[in-house]
Amino acid sequence: MMDPSVKTRIPSDGEPSRILAYWSPDDVVAVWNNLAKGGTEIERAPQSPGAAHLRAAWLGPPSAPRLRRVAPLEQVDGYGVFTFPYGPISMGVPEAGRFDVRTYGERVLDISPEVGFKARRILSSVAGLTIEDAALRIERLAGPFSAAHVSAFLAATESAAGRGISAREAWIRALAQELQRIYNHIHVVARVAEAASQNVGLAQAHALAEDVLRLMGSTFGHRWLFGAFLPGGPPTRLGPDDRVALAGTLGRLSKEFERLWSTFQTSRTFLDRIQTTCGVSREETLRWGAVGPTLRATGVAWDDRLRSPVPPYTDLFLPLATESSGDALGRVLVRVLEVRSSFLLLEQMLERWPASGSTQLPASEAIAPGRGVARVESPSGDLVYDVSVHDGRVGRVSARTASDANWPLFALGMRDAVFTDFHFAWESFGILFAETDR
Amino acid sequence: MIHVPSWLQLAWERGILTTKYPFEPARPEEVSPAGVGPVPTSPLDQLTDAPARCPTGAITLDAVDQGKCVRCARCLGAGFAFTGPVESSEARRGDLVWAGGRPGAQTNDGPLADLGRSIHVYLVDVGSCMACNLEVLALSNPYYDSQRLGIFFTNSPRHADVLVVVGVPTEEMVEPVRRAYEALPAPKAVIAVGACAIGGGVFAGNPGLKGALEQVIPVDRFVPGCPPPPVAILHAILATMGRSRTPPGGR
Ligand code: SF4
Ligand code: SF4
Repeated sequence: MMDPSVKTRIPSDGEPSRILAYWSPDDVVAVWNNLAKGGTEIERAPQSPGAAHLRAAWLGPPSAPRLRRVAPLEQVDGYGVFTFPYGPISMGVPEAGRFDVRTYGERVLDISPEVGFKARRILSSVAGLTIEDAALRIERLAGPFSAAHVSAFLAATESAAGRGISAREAWIRALAQELQRIYNHIHVVARVAEAASQNVGLAQAHALAEDVLRLMGSTFGHRWLFGAFLPGGPPTRLGPDDRVALAGTLGRLSKEFERLWSTFQTSRTFLDRIQTTCGVSREETLRWGAVGPTLRATGVAWDDRLRSPVPPYTDLFLPLATESSGDALGRVLVRVLEVRSSFLLLEQMLERWPASGSTQLPASEAIAPGRGVARVESPSGDLVYDVSVHDGRVGRVSARTASDANWPLFALGMRDAVFTDFHFAWESFGILFAETDR
Repeated sequence: MIHVPSWLQLAWERGILTTKYPFEPARPEEVSPAGVGPVPTSPLDQLTDAPARCPTGAITLDAVDQGKCVRCARCLGAGFAFTGPVESSEARRGDLVWAGGRPGAQTNDGPLADLGRSIHVYLVDVGSCMACNLEVLALSNPYYDSQRLGIFFTNSPRHADVLVVVGVPTEEMVEPVRRAYEALPAPKAVIAVGACAIGGGVFAGNPGLKGALEQVIPVDRFVPGCPPPPVAILHAILATMGRSRTPPGGR
């Protein structure tokens, strides 16, 4: 009998692309818009030859008109090959989405994620709204990444209108983003540990994630930062005394994180379980346009905060975290290093907090028409927004999220894995269906 | 010398984290300002600026619909304050509409009141931003420790007593959530968590969405908020079990 793995292969059209993040934000959005519409042509040729591969990432007939497959693998068939759908409701993945899993005995031959189950038509629904009302929806696109989404959206509208923002506004956005990055990274580490049956210290990891949510709640008035940068949002506490208290709490949480990680680090069972699991190579992350910790875990030193820095990142010291293994452990390690660097960034910000500046969106009439593109390093990687503004209202909005970019890598990493690896492999990527189903 | 594992030491040093809720009122740090509903600080019909400020139409001159409120805080500049009760879930959708902007009496006896045992909860997402999901899952962290109250999460709807649903139902999720509902053995209860599940939240009216979970499956309890804080979700689960208690100082 033929071994089905022979037929599990990546379509090999064209040369490996350059890193997706090297593309200009305009190209990223143009290509993504086109692919999302099911197009085969690239509207505007990007600088790099990666487009053919991105096209190939959208293979396979969807099971319903509004659903899409986001896996790069050709599906395998043969005697003994068994396919089962996992989702759209499954407790292990607490989101609505489906994976078609093809197995041969214990082995996973390929996994084809299917998205679209929870498409809320958010980006198309904001056309015609004021920037403020549109932001209210965009921050609810993916709650755990709200600060990154609103920051990128607002930055794109500011670029469209040719408007600068005060130092204080910029710092508040960065502060919120770094707090949310810490939350997400600790949450991912805890979920990976949980799925890998690492019970020791797990409760403390979940408690630490809750500590960060509470800190965001007391600082920005909302545990998920909704409204945090918008005029008339929930009450914030960022006065001089609040900042001293905040610095103190962050210092304590940072120490607790270090001790927690040292307990995880001494657990051989945990490390062994995630080491070499769901690995992707540097060539694959570059070729398929991976972003964020998924990319950096394969040794590629790319982070928007350093590569396309905006204030306050231009003025702060940020060590860049990379690993080279490309497996679940590598992605966890990058997140651990980034929790540290985010604590360091927050410490610097609170020491050098800018004195004044208000958070005010200009009146609609004062906004010049135009189109703007902005990118932000979200917890899971490069996030790009492309926004046009007319008559003081939002026109067309499109986005390429970190989850969009990283789907193919999850599918590639699961080749030849066993299904029992699924959950922690999945968690290690930090992909949200909510980010793709927008 | 006895060797104390580092994780045990860590837990020991942090002490008892678990909330005293529901035996004592929720503490401010357990509920961020936007975790509770807005209440008018003067007679509602005098706050004539407020309805126009509200992006979801939750405020009229005679009532505030907590089910529509997404806690955006815009009404805070028009005479409202986030001072509603943590225990704000209701068994009937209509009871989330607070006449005069003030909460009325609450129904606390749910369909599982006679069960007399611990219960199992199955979480279903039908179109969320993921924040509601994470607030529900937070109930098993040491701060909320729902197990101490006999509330457990299960991996199968067949073993569940309560379906906790988050998100605005999309057309694609109508059939899956119906099937999950049917898989629950009777007696069963459904809790709609968050503005999206109650009535679409900020996404109400978008194409391809069912307006509310109620239109898809019967709902026994509605928990307002965007998202509701874990203690509010805990209260709602206890209420469906007939075990909710109003802590001193609560509603
Ligand atoms: S907080 Fe609620 S009631 Fe107040 S304006 Fe926002 S949505 Fe309306
Ligand atoms: S109610 Fe709010 S927090 Fe919950 S899923 Fe909807 S947008 Fe997200």
